[in-house]
Amino acid sequence: MKMIKTLASSSIITMALSVVFTATLLAQTPKLNDAEVASVAVTANQIDINYATVAKAKSKNVDILKFAETMSNDHKAVIAQAVALVTKLKVTPKDNAVSKKLMADAEVTKKTLLSKSGKAFDKAYIDNEVAYHKAVIGAVEGLLIPSSKNAELKALLEKVVPALKVHLSHAEMVQMKFK
Amino acid sequence: MSKYYICFAFVVFLFASCFSVKEKPKAYTVEIKNMKFVPDDITVKQGDTIIWVNHDMMAHDVTEEGSKQWTSSIIPSGGSWKMGVTAAANYYCSIHVVMKGKIRLQ
Repeated sequence: MKMIKTLASSSIITMALSVVFTATLLAQTPKLNDAEVASVAVTANQIDINYATVAKAKSKNVDILKFAETMSNDHKAVIAQAVALVTKLKVTPKDNAVSKKLMADAEVTKKTLLSKSGKAFDKAYIDNEVAYHKAVIGAVEGLLIPSSKNAELKALLEKVVPALKVHLSHAEMVQMKFK
Repeated sequence: MSKYYICFAFVVFLFASCFSVKEKPKAYTVEIKNMKFVPDDITVKQGDTIIWVNHDMMAHDVTEEGSKQWTSSIIPSGGSWKMGVTAAANYYCSIHVVMKGKIRLQ
């Protein structure tokens, strides 16, 4: 039992550290060009869609399933807008250190989530959603918007921030039910 | 003589009632933008219409909050939904549950 608790807490620590490392990396990375900004934006949205896919497969909790469905639909809508814009601007999203690190960290978190079930999974998923949205809001406001040269790209990122903040509030509301 | 005055007043009243102009119902717009209902607090008269227009990139809905008496169902990006107001209500987006609005009756 003690072993299980230790393992559980170590995986939560791993997930938390992963988000912290991501946030730190995003804060320290030098400015990106528009193609790199686009890549980071699409990657960050895709990661949350991936988390939602895991949640929809594993959870039976109504609040979690509803939240995951919203994350999946909303982040797909953001990606569609981003793709439409870069197509119009003839910019090809360029993979970079930030997007690679985001994806690598997300794989670690995904493995941790997959190792859980039941209420432990639900709590881990929603805790990660709160932490992830906080990190992404910080990154969009502190790195991606200031780095964007193109006005339309900057405007799109600015338009995404209120959605991310509403997602965060929604996640925090669901999180309260697991305390 | 007074009977004539009373009759005359009654006829005038009936005439005025027949030709009194009823105020036409009005149409109001609530924009859904930046994940908010704008305005989020609106005062209308019974019979007026409110149209909600979704300017966000994601879908929303408009749902009565207390006992889900009415709902728009999904309003896609760029879409709209209108409703004749019959009662005051608190409403929210059931997809993004922190988005809230209020309809007051005059």
